[in-house]
Amino acid sequence: MTPSRITQAQVLGTKHELPVFPRVVLQILETLEDPDACLTVLAQHIEHEPVITASVLSLANRAGTNSHGSVATTDVFTAVSLVGLSRVREVAIQAILRGFVKDLAPTGAMESFWAHSLATAMCGIEVARQAPAEVGVDAALIACLLHDVGQLWLRRFEPQRMQVAMLMATPRGVAIDTAERNLFGVDHGAIGGWLAESWGLPQEIVKSITYHHTPESALEVPLVAVAHVSDVLSNALDLTHSPDSKVLWLSHASCATLGLTWGPESQQLFGKIEARSRHAFASLAA
Amino acid sequence: MRTRTRYLPLEHAREGMVLIDAARDNYERTLLPAGAVLTEENLHQLLAHHVQFVCVSQTETRTPEQIAVDAAESARRVLKVFQRANLTDPLMAALFNQTLIYRSA
Repeated sequence: MTPSRITQAQVLGTKHELPVFPRVVLQILETLEDPDACLTVLAQHIEHEPVITASVLSLANRAGTNSHGSVATTDVFTAVSLVGLSRVREVAIQAILRGFVKDLAPTGAMESFWAHSLATAMCGIEVARQAPAEVGVDAALIACLLHDVGQLWLRRFEPQRMQVAMLMATPRGVAIDTAERNLFGVDHGAIGGWLAESWGLPQEIVKSITYHHTPESALEVPLVAVAHVSDVLSNALDLTHSPDSKVLWLSHASCATLGLTWGPESQQLFGKIEARSRHAFASLAA
Repeated sequence: MRTRTRYLPLEHAREGMVLIDAARDNYERTLLPAGAVLTEENLHQLLAHHVQFVCVSQTETRTPEQIAVDAAESARRVLKVFQRANLTDPLMAALFNQTLIYRSA
């Protein structure tokens, strides 16, 4: 089959049909080094978003329940005092991006997409925390939550050919990115990267989305290695219990960048990832 | 009495469980050492320090037969996930082995 190449102009030409990327995510990233400014951004945004408010306050209220009774948390400032700014930021980013992806996803695609994205993000947080290179946990969270966003674009705008790509990939053990490149001339990483760049996300996140299946092209950015390894780990540990969980390839250079050799010390990493994932999925269901 | 090592989200941790690894905060400061027994009070302190999970020893309640059945099922699942992976690659083989050990524990 001769590929009909998907171009950047074609992808960006559909932006008017897509939901607007939540600017608050960019503001959170811009204020990471300034806790007061970040808290102000969160407070301003959260009070206008009932779903996000509910996520943050529910987390805080669980933490606020103590042996002497419960403290009803009604605002983000109290929530931060109870669970910490980084945790509130993490929960808020998850809730904001979940809402965005829900609007972006075609019918029926959201549930499995978000489960894999969330599992990968939980791997990303733990892998970033133990990386020898400096990798921001918030950047890892956002990059991993959005790493497959190009697949959503393909399923929305090229549903029939995407179905063919999936049929080519699944039973034959061909990597999905290879099947996509054969059919579209580009893979979902490239498409996701174009979108991420157009949304104004930082270059390290753009590159992580673009190269998560081909990390060796961009390992000068350690977050690329984090996104790749986290994607592999979420499948290896079968965190979503999906029949689609498959491990095909693991980049040696990415593991070297992150100091991962997969010895007995990995048991601790796996345990932390699984506990974090269980917590995240339980929060999602609550 | 046989025990299992488990990482648990803090909300699943219970009084009487024993820490296998120290409980640390986000700054890697030790809040409770390995060997500490969880109590209502120290569980609330961990919560107040934003600890999200702990590594504890849990009493094994499964029969040996059930443990064997669970281990076989876990191994079957791990093999399926890795069925297309190149296990002659030492790094992939190492990841496979550690995943198998983790799932069989």
